[in-house]
Amino acid sequence: MTTSSITRRSTRAFRGGTALALTLSTALASVFASAAQAADLDAAQAMVDEYSALPVFEAPGKPFDAAACMAGKKVLVVPVTSAIPFISAIAEEMDSVADEVGFDVEIWKNQGQPTQWVQGIEYAIANGFDAVDLMGGIIPAALAPQLAAAHEAGLRVFATHHTDVSYEPDPNADVRLPLSFSKVGEILAAWVTTQTEGNANVLVIGTDDVPPSQPYWKSFEAKLAELSPESKATYVNVPLADWATKIQTSVQSNLLQDPGINYIVPIYDSMSQFVMPALAITGKTGQIPIATFNGTPFVLDMIREGDDVVMDIGESMGWIARSAVDAHMRDLCDIGDTPEELYVPLYIFTDANIESAGDPADFNMGYGDSFISGYKELWGL
Amino acid sequence: MPHPTDTPALAPRRHLNWAQLGESYALVIVMIALFGVFSLLLPTTFFSWANVSTMLGSQAILVFLTLSLILTLTAGDFDLSVAATLTISAMTVAVLNAQLEVPLVLAISAALLVGAFIGLVNGFFILYFRIPSLIVTLGTGTFINGIVLWMSGSTTIGGIDFTLIKFVVGTRFLGIPLLFYYALIMCLIVWYVFGFTTLGRRLLFVGRGREVALLSGINVEKVRLGALILSSMMAALAGVFYAGTLGAADPNSGNSFLLPAFAAAFLGATAITPGRFNPIGSFVAVYFLVIGITGLTMLGIQSYVQNLFYGGALVLAVALSQLVRKREAQEL
Repeated sequence: MTTSSITRRSTRAFRGGTALALTLSTALASVFASAAQAADLDAAQAMVDEYSALPVFEAPGKPFDAAACMAGKKVLVVPVTSAIPFISAIAEEMDSVADEVGFDVEIWKNQGQPTQWVQGIEYAIANGFDAVDLMGGIIPAALAPQLAAAHEAGLRVFATHHTDVSYEPDPNADVRLPLSFSKVGEILAAWVTTQTEGNANVLVIGTDDVPPSQPYWKSFEAKLAELSPESKATYVNVPLADWATKIQTSVQSNLLQDPGINYIVPIYDSMSQFVMPALAITGKTGQIPIATFNGTPFVLDMIREGDDVVMDIGESMGWIARSAVDAHMRDLCDIGDTPEELYVPLYIFTDANIESAGDPADFNMGYGDSFISGYKELWGL
Repeated sequence: MPHPTDTPALAPRRHLNWAQLGESYALVIVMIALFGVFSLLLPTTFFSWANVSTMLGSQAILVFLTLSLILTLTAGDFDLSVAATLTISAMTVAVLNAQLEVPLVLAISAALLVGAFIGLVNGFFILYFRIPSLIVTLGTGTFINGIVLWMSGSTTIGGIDFTLIKFVVGTRFLGIPLLFYYALIMCLIVWYVFGFTTLGRRLLFVGRGREVALLSGINVEKVRLGALILSSMMAALAGVFYAGTLGAADPNSGNSFLLPAFAAAFLGATAITPGRFNPIGSFVAVYFLVIGITGLTMLGIQSYVQNLFYGGALVLAVALSQLVRKREAQEL
């Protein structure tokens, strides 16, 4: 036996041993990993199932005679901008709900300039309104002097759908009705986990100048780490004013830099229109699914008509409007149980239920109508 | 160069020229008529002193920004960075005063210095490298927006010292916030400088024809640099007042003033002293736009109509002015 043949045999034996050890360790690791993943996948699926079920109305407080105590009252709604259809539609719906109850809601239509909000508040003070509602994203602290004047004049100040529930309550408003964007982040993380079976490599596109974005992203990141520890998420911040020019290029660069990306989460669904050209230009159309939030009709239509957007978490505009009006009335009528956040169920739209959203989709369709009769009964109408 | 007309504005008037008079005051008359129409439609809300004082006070920021624009426009330059300068100035006050607890006076001084520095940078690139002002200020404006997002962490910063708010909108005279009077005073200062000082005349000559001004012995570059620096400082002052109006600063909203300010500057150049960017005309133009927008808002008209009003009013006003002038050729 030559030295070289002994060396070859020992090498073969060593390789064989190494291979066996590797196989064993891989098998063991996969056993443990799959066990861990299975548990997480169940939890993720349970969450997805919960928010895929049609929401059912549950009374958010005790019943009261709204028509009697709201008679003659006036509320001015100042939306963050009337140029966003969703925000504008909520304001209009609040107006029509107020008509049903029998009090006056006026909308201060504007183009998102804080000086216009200032004018709105001063208009409310000068014209005998009982309350002013800053709706859709106006931070009360950013109008502190005007709100102080409103308080001095005896007006109640409301802030509706303006930020995430995790923020400290803003003392400049009497009633604050934030939305749980953190919950939205968690649902999206659960969805991505189930769809990738715990092996997600997600590109998240956020916009930090919209206040709830950071808690929303943080909750997504934390939930993903909890449900799917092996998954990875990359966050890209694109300021609101730059959506049209920078989302596409940011997505393109990230897809080229990291070919393993297998999911895209634009945190607000209107961003999706700028993600799709990036998918097309990098040859990934139909390969990397998009999951998002808002339930904006044209994005819901994308679920029906295309292959890229596969899921959109919607919030019923009519439900938001009623929840807001309910809270405002409870405060103005001194009922004593004014809620501390909006009561708005989140509902997952996919190919399976997209037809219920209408064709073309509508802001208010697909969520059932239990809330309409539910609120009427609650208000004694 | 951004001259609204090429009419020799210094020609003496020997007798009453009705066409010229009509042209000078057409915008004022239309503004009064517009106020009358909205007052008839909304007698209890629009036609009230509370509404008038609100309109005068809340949009005075736009007067400052328009005045800042006409300084450079008169000297023949465009400054597209004024809205970004306003934003960074407001944010400088907010970050220094509300976050870092720097005394208000120092924070305001820093904001004005930031404005002067921006004017200097604009001037350096425009004059030394001879790059068109439109391109330079488009670039610096975008650059400044990036800095604002960085320094603010992309969020609104509140909690500015209430003293500033007290001196801007918290104190009223005849029911109108002090800010309106500051704007009015600034308007009169610019009017005096433009019309009655050597500096104002030099600014106008440089804007009308740089070569002629140079041959007349005017230091053209010095005048242009001065206009750019003063313009940026005026925009920074608008930013300080903006922070004082809201008690906070946000990284984006200031930029939305750029189009209305340009609209007011050009619209103003068709009034009072037609053919020249002038402060009183700009003042009238700002409040013409504000009356229109406020009236439409109170009527509950959809917000896109506001865009129609801004854009349509500008084009129609200039077109009417041209009709009065028998469609003389324009340099722009």
